[in-house]
Formats: sequence, C-alpha cells, structure tokens
Amino acid sequence: MKLLVIEDEKALADNIRSYLSTNEVICEVAQNYQEAVAKLNVYSYDVILLDIMLPDGNGLDILHYLKEEQSEAGILIISAKNSLDDRVAGLELGADDYLTKPFHLSELNARLKAIYRRRKFQGFTEIKFNEIAVDTNNHEVSIHDKQLELTVKEYELLLFFISNKNRVLTKQTIAEHLWGDNVDFLDSFDFVYQHIKNLRKKITAADGQDYIKTIYGLGYKFHNN
Amino acid sequence: MRLITKATLLYLFIMSLVFSLGGIVTYNMVMKAVAKETDYSLAQNMYLLEDAIREGKPLDALQSSKTRITKVSTIQANDTVYHFSDTLAMHPYWKRLEPYRKMTITRKVDTAYYRFSMIDIFLETDDVSKGVISVMTRLFFGLGLILLLASFLISSWLFQPFQRTLQKIKSFNLKENNTITFEDTSTKEFNQLNGFISQMTEKAQRDYVSLKEFSENAAHEMQTPIAVAKGKLELLLEDDNLQESQLPLIQSAQAALSKLSRLGQSLSLLTKIENNEFTVKETTNFSEVVEQSVITFQDICELKGLALKSNIEKNVLLSINASVADILVSNLLKNAVRYNSTDGWVNISLNKKQLVIENPGHPPNVPTNQLFERFRKSNQSGASLGLGLAIVKKICEVNQLKVDYVYTEGVHRLIVKLP
Repeated sequence: MKLLVIEDEKALADNIRSYLSTNEVICEVAQNYQEAVAKLNVYSYDVILLDIMLPDGNGLDILHYLKEEQSEAGILIISAKNSLDDRVAGLELGADDYLTKPFHLSELNARLKAIYRRRKFQGFTEIKFNEIAVDTNNHEVSIHDKQLELTVKEYELLLFFISNKNRVLTKQTIAEHLWGDNVDFLDSFDFVYQHIKNLRKKITAADGQDYIKTIYGLGYKFHNN
Repeated sequence: MRLITKATLLYLFIMSLVFSLGGIVTYNMVMKAVAKETDYSLAQNMYLLEDAIREGKPLDALQSSKTRITKVSTIQANDTVYHFSDTLAMHPYWKRLEPYRKMTITRKVDTAYYRFSMIDIFLETDDVSKGVISVMTRLFFGLGLILLLASFLISSWLFQPFQRTLQKIKSFNLKENNTITFEDTSTKEFNQLNGFISQMTEKAQRDYVSLKEFSENAAHEMQTPIAVAKGKLELLLEDDNLQESQLPLIQSAQAALSKLSRLGQSLSLLTKIENNEFTVKETTNFSEVVEQSVITFQDICELKGLALKSNIEKNVLLSINASVADILVSNLLKNAVRYNSTDGWVNISLNKKQLVIENPGHPPNVPTNQLFERFRKSNQSGASLGLGLAIVKKICEVNQLKVDYVYTEGVHRLIVKLP
C-alpha cells in the first residue's frame, strides 16, 4: 500500500510514518499544500491521509484537485476540528473517512486499511489470518471454513485486532474504537475485558487458536506465535 | 427607596428644623416688640398723669386699679430710673390672674416727688405661641405639599434620560453583538454617564469576543500536540525492550492525554453552542433521536448490569439541530449510567411535554441545581470532566427548553420540559 501523509506538523507526520511503515506499507510525507500537489502530480498513491488545516491552503482544496484529476486514491481526512460542517464537506468532496485529532495510531491504521480494502478490491475482500477468515463485505467470520456467530462489537473487535496484528492495543484504544465518543464516561474498561473474553471463547470453541495475548495492566496484542 | 423620595424626606426634615427654629425666633421677637410697646404706652400714661398733677387735680381722682400715685418725701438715687417688670394681677372682669406689665418710677413734678406704680395688661404668652405655631404649621404643610408634588412631577421629567439609560443597560446582552447607543440629553451628568457606559460595554464586548476566539482556538490548537504525544506513547509501546513495569506508566499517560483532549473538545463544544453556531434550526424528530440513543446505550447498560427501560412517544417534533439534540440526550444518558447504583436501572420516557430520565443512586453532595455549573461534580475526584450537565444546560438555554434536576427518595430525575 502506498500512502501519502499530508500533515504540516512534523512530529505528528513522523509518528504516523514510523508507526505505519512496514513491509506492506510505503509511507511518504508532504508538509504543505505545494509539496502535496507536486507529489500527487508525479506519483500515484493508494491512500491519502489529509490534514484539513495546512499553512498554505485549505486541505479541502486538495480534495477538489483530486476530484478533477479523477484520482482513485482513498482519502482519510484528519482534523483538529470536530466540526460537523467540515466532516460533511469532506465526505461530500469524496473523502472516505474522517478522523478527529487526537487519534490512536492503531485506530488510524485500522481505518486506512479499511479504506484500502474498499478501494482496491471494491469491497470483495476476505482477510485471512491463519485459520480465521473475515469477509468484510458481509461482515462474516469463519474459522476452518465454519461460520462463526459474532455480535457486531465482537466482529469489530476481531477486525480491529487483525488490522493491528502484532501491535500493542491498550484497553483505552479498544474502548474508543468500539464505543467512540461514548467511552469517556465508562470509568473502567471491564467491558472491554468482557468482550474479549466472549470473543476468545467463541474462537476456541470453533477450534481456532487463541491469538489474543493479554499484556498485564495494559491491554492486548493479537499475534501469531 | 427612590432617590427622589429620599431627597424629599431630607428636605422635609430640614424644613421642620427650620420652621421650629423660626417659630422660636418669631415668638421671642413678638414678645420683645409687645413689651416695648406696652412700656412705651405706660410711660405715655405717666406723662399724662404728671400733666394732671401739675394742673392741680387731686391725687385721689387720678388713682385707679391700674395706677397708684404716692407722694414721697425722700428719694434714693436709683428711684428715678424707669423700672419695668412682669407681674401677675387680678383681672377686673375675668376674675383671674393675668400677666401684667408693671412700671415703677419716682418723678419730680413741680417741686414735689411722686412715686408712680402703673400696670397694664400684657399680651398672653400662650396666645403668642399658639399664633406662632399655627402660622408655622400651616406654612410647613403648605410648603411640604408643594414640595412633594413638585418633586414627583420634576423627577419624572428630570430623570427620564436616566430611566432610558437604565432600560438600555437592562436589555444589554454581552453575547449579542449590538452596541448600546444613547441620545444626547441636556443634563451634563447623564451625558457623562452614558458616555462611560458606552465605552464600558464596547470594551466588554471586545474582550468577550477575543476571549471566545481564544478559547475556541486554544481548544483546536491543543489537539495536534496531544495527537503527537499520544502517537509517541503508542510508538513507545511497540518497543520490545520495554519492561512490564513501565507499561502502566504509558497507559496512564495516555489516559491523561485522552482526558485532556476530551476536555478541550467539550469546552469548544460549549463555546460553539454559546456562540449560537448551531442556530440552523430544523425540525427534528426528537423521538427518533432518543430511540437511537437508547439503542447506543443498550449495550453499555447491559455491560454495566443496568436495566434500561424506555417509554417513547412517537413523532415528538422539536425545533432543534439534530446533532445538538443527540448530544443533549446522550449526555443525559451518560450521566444516568455513570451515577447509577450497582445493579440499578435507567428509565427514559418521552412525551410531547417532557423528556424524563431517571436512575437510582447516591444523593448528590451539592445542591442539584449547582451540578449544572461547569466543573461542578458530586465526586470531585471522579473520572468525569464535570462538563456534561453544563453542556445540557447550555443546549437547553439556547433552544428554549427548561431542564430540572430533582433528587427524591434515592432517585435522580432529570426533566427536560419541551416547549
């Protein structure tokens, strides 16, 4: 996956690049409007991460530019403004998703991958992780080709884990992924534990391996031993 | 007390002092003048009697009840001086003691010396004081009445510009961007006052706007550094060399950053509602908004072991921005879930008149109406930001809804009255 990060805050761009750069992801950074347009003229990207507020122009102008160029890149907007208008304007101009600062890098990763899947495979995609297969189009999960009955939250949780495999996910990150803004009033993250317990049970009951490793006092990691 | 009433009362007080002093002075002056006149008339009578003696009239014929003349052979030096005094004597007709003026003197008529002792009825002090008091009280009441009438008539005219200024200050709202303008008045003091108020309100408005902009910008600008810090911590978590004991430190740093960021967002939301940024009024199906929130919270209530019951009337329409309505309902539900008792319940009911959300819980530590204030929490150390109900209150204010918090018999009840 080729990714362009258009973000004027260098420290944040560095974070994103260090976190996302893997064997599968090539990540480039543009720090302003001019640089972004120059890069977009020359290269093609699978996904573009766009900060709406740029020092030399509005990020929405880049959306206009991409639309004119009939670019096929997926676009994820990041903004410090949790403003409905910006969100609507961005999505209307063809952005795929909108993320408000500050975000968890794992959340960003999951969203980027979702956009990439939708764009690249037009939704007909099956994510495989050993014996686990996730059909993101029909929201179905099967283990050893046997369908697994999961609740919506359990499905989201599993997908979030697979998108962030081998990464440490804190309870906070997971809670915010599952419940969004409503998480702020839940004083404990016991309910994350509940969901993970149920998911584990269902996977092992279907003869799947337990890939969810508990990191004491912190969170979980989904990985293949 | 009104200024004019105060001034009038003060005038009346001063007037009563002046009039009583005036009465005393007048009384004394009248008494002096009368005494002088009486003395003068006694002396005149004496001269007439002297003439009569000279003409050779017998002394007995000249004596009367008021006059006594005796012939004296020797005199002392001071006997020839007029000597006046006040005395009491029997009135010939009224048969009672009356004040009289008495004059005694020894005079030389031709060659002999005669001692004159003469009295004349004197003006009664009672009559004088009665007269003075009656004149003074009449004057006092007459003047007082005129003063009262005049002060109330003048005040309504004189204080008109002042009343107008007061009215304008009363209707002034810092949040509305209209400045106060005053017409010129012919009173210098009122012009000064108006000028001062104009300056002050303009400055207050300028400060308010800049403060508003500052808090909005600060909330936004805060988010990027928080995002950077959060990202760095997440990168740190990826480090394989981390010891297990270090992980909780990172976790709590992340939690603190999340709280900081939510704080910024909540404050900026409050500012936005305050700045009427959601004034685009639309008719929202409030029932649907509430139902949607109930679905969202069903899951959370189950996890927390709370029973969520709802009784929602269909198609309750409300003139409110849909996303604001959603914030309102979810903030109320969040509150009900957070301050619930273990194995408690949440009741939500909506009809055309009101939205009521109830839950059992500990009694609040502070008066319930104070819980709508910013950062006012029943439990100060709790994880909540203390802004949820402030946001609820603000939304209600802007959308002409009335919100009440009642705690009775172990049940918290939040009631939003619909218009």
